[in-house]
Amino acid sequence: MTKPRSRRLLAGAALVLGVALTSTACLNQGPAASSDGQGEVGGTIQVAWWGGESRNAKTNAVIEQFNEDFPEVTTETQSADYAQYFNRLNVQASSRSLPCVVQMQDRQVNDYVKRQTLQPLDDMVASGAIDTSKIPPAVLDGGRGSDGKLYFIPYGIAWDALMVNTTLAEEAGVGAPPESWDWDQFVSYVSQAKDRLPDGTYAVAAGGEEQNAFYAWAVGQGIEVFNAEGQLGFTKEQLKEYWSLWLDLQEQGIALPPDMSAEEPPGADQGYLATGQLMVGVLPGNSLYVSQQTLDGRDGGQLQAARYPDGPAGIGNILVASGFGISSNCDNVPTSAAFIDFFTNDVDAQVAFAADNGAPTNTDVLDALTAEDSELPDLKRDELEQYRAISEDNPPKVNYPPGFNAVFQQAFTRNYNEVAFGRLTLDQAVDSFFNETNASLG
Amino acid sequence: MTTTLSAPSQPTRIPRPWDARTQRPAGNRVVKGIIKHAVLLCVLLIMLYPLLWMVGASFRPGNQTFAGLSLFSDTYTLQNYADGWSVGNLNFSKYFVNSAIITIGQIVGNLFACSLTAYAFARLEFPFKRVLFGMVIATMLLPQHVTLIPKYIIFNQMGWVDTYLPLTVPHFFAVDAFFIFLMVQFIRTLPTSLDESARIDGCGHWGIFWRIIMPMSLPAIGTTAMFTFVWAWNDLLGPLLYLPSSDLWTVSLGLNSFLDQTGQSTYGTLFAMATLSLAPIVGFFIASQRLLVEGIATTGLK
Repeated sequence: MTKPRSRRLLAGAALVLGVALTSTACLNQGPAASSDGQGEVGGTIQVAWWGGESRNAKTNAVIEQFNEDFPEVTTETQSADYAQYFNRLNVQASSRSLPCVVQMQDRQVNDYVKRQTLQPLDDMVASGAIDTSKIPPAVLDGGRGSDGKLYFIPYGIAWDALMVNTTLAEEAGVGAPPESWDWDQFVSYVSQAKDRLPDGTYAVAAGGEEQNAFYAWAVGQGIEVFNAEGQLGFTKEQLKEYWSLWLDLQEQGIALPPDMSAEEPPGADQGYLATGQLMVGVLPGNSLYVSQQTLDGRDGGQLQAARYPDGPAGIGNILVASGFGISSNCDNVPTSAAFIDFFTNDVDAQVAFAADNGAPTNTDVLDALTAEDSELPDLKRDELEQYRAISEDNPPKVNYPPGFNAVFQQAFTRNYNEVAFGRLTLDQAVDSFFNETNASLG
Repeated sequence: MTTTLSAPSQPTRIPRPWDARTQRPAGNRVVKGIIKHAVLLCVLLIMLYPLLWMVGASFRPGNQTFAGLSLFSDTYTLQNYADGWSVGNLNFSKYFVNSAIITIGQIVGNLFACSLTAYAFARLEFPFKRVLFGMVIATMLLPQHVTLIPKYIIFNQMGWVDTYLPLTVPHFFAVDAFFIFLMVQFIRTLPTSLDESARIDGCGHWGIFWRIIMPMSLPAIGTTAMFTFVWAWNDLLGPLLYLPSSDLWTVSLGLNSFLDQTGQSTYGTLFAMATLSLAPIVGFFIASQRLLVEGIATTGLK
């Protein structure tokens, strides 16, 4: 699963990122090397990814299978939690000593593309060193940088979704959410639920501070979140409209109040949805299973994933791609390409990996994991079916510009909450958000 | 020496006629004492509560970790300790050993280098002494993040990444200005007449440093060792950058592996191992606290 939730950790990451990337500027040396990835597979490669203990175990199992297929390769591994992973990666990038195979996400990739620390993979795909034929083109596009070249091969897809505690929704008399809805229907759904929910339980999360809910709202209306210059593509009026929607919901006691929202423990397994204090949460779609496990421990009800409300321009659910790329300082490109090809396409290995970092992009793997004889828990299979439905709807892609991680998320959350806590007016907060963000983006 | 020590104690007062009026009954003193201790205990409880809560949570089953603010629960389990200890391809005993190696290396390095440097600044006369001391102090103003990347580049080119060397060797070159400053201030308070008599008895600089200054600086040494221990033991960023391979991981990196903000964090096992990782710090504090007291007792001249 791929969406960071802890803002404090991200702030730390952003700080190191800023310092790291400033100092890389002096090390830029011409255009990044490109290779077709053909050559002898052997020697040593380093592979780095983010994740906790359970993902480390699964990734190591895949690497063991790779080493069985390629016994002449030695694989060294590095892992850390998401925020710490990027802290380290930034420092390694600035000294041109990145591991050969690095895990990337589309939110981060342009920071590295801009500094030319990653190799374009298009030639390796063309030469057949990396096979992408089983990945739908719209999904593969998640691995492209802002220059249009492919910098990582997505293997796992996260998508944002609404998580509905249907047990609470039944109690509140609104029932399960419909297959698809628009924003007006969504607002009346949570508003109706409010009166009959128990005290201390809220109908919906504080969506005004959630950048992903904003993307859904914007993309559904056909608004381009970032323009071609890597600056904000929406207008101040549009942001005001979005924030007002949520400020109203908070004022009426429908959405989670700002103080509770600020104190929410990070992680899908610890948040208010998992503790049964929230009816509709804004979470990565692949956190359904994890949240449900905690909820079961408290007898807190049943969760169901729901689509974001659609807008006039169509679906609002954007995809977040994670996958492996190759660093430009790598001296063993053929082996790295072979590893990425194996990790993305080997059905046995990916079945063992069990969609641990989002839905598998390779359709053969997706079919195998959702098949009748799959060993995945039902909820996990529901997640994957939801991904299949969204990916077939041709979801739009958000191009996150360089500088995005250092500024956008913190500025979005902070400025919204300045209004929610009554410290700034809506106009002031929107102005301040635009000034802060546009100064650092691009 | 005895007179100096007893000087701060209350001088004996001659009883005055009005004392009888103002003297309070003995019971009042007891009440005061009880109130004072009750307040202190309350403050102590407030300060310790988060820690006690963490210990309590480490004995709860995983899905009840954040069950509430209470210290107690209906069910207790040792599963978190069993799961946590055997985490990863290695286990926590390896991480404890790794942390201990780095911590001991840093303590030895700091004690050796910082005390020698401090002796030089406090006792020797050499050109540009004040300027140099000012420069040492100025390094305390430099944020860690400024030197993070240059340091990494240097160590990477030396081939030291993935070894303990970047985390220990620099400490043998007196890089912690804070401890140098602490020791300089301490050594300055020691009477120079002791140095002079040692010199008359035939000691050189090394002799004075080793036989006179060091034994009398035990409080400063204890403080340096204690701070170095806590900082080295708790450090995450240093090991994160320089020890990417999991067989070199320290306790802090091991604890980090329980967290996954993009997946499932296992807070129960995290708290269990965090509780265990506190034990050396508490133990070291108790040990060095005795050293501090002893140090003060043996340097009664101060």
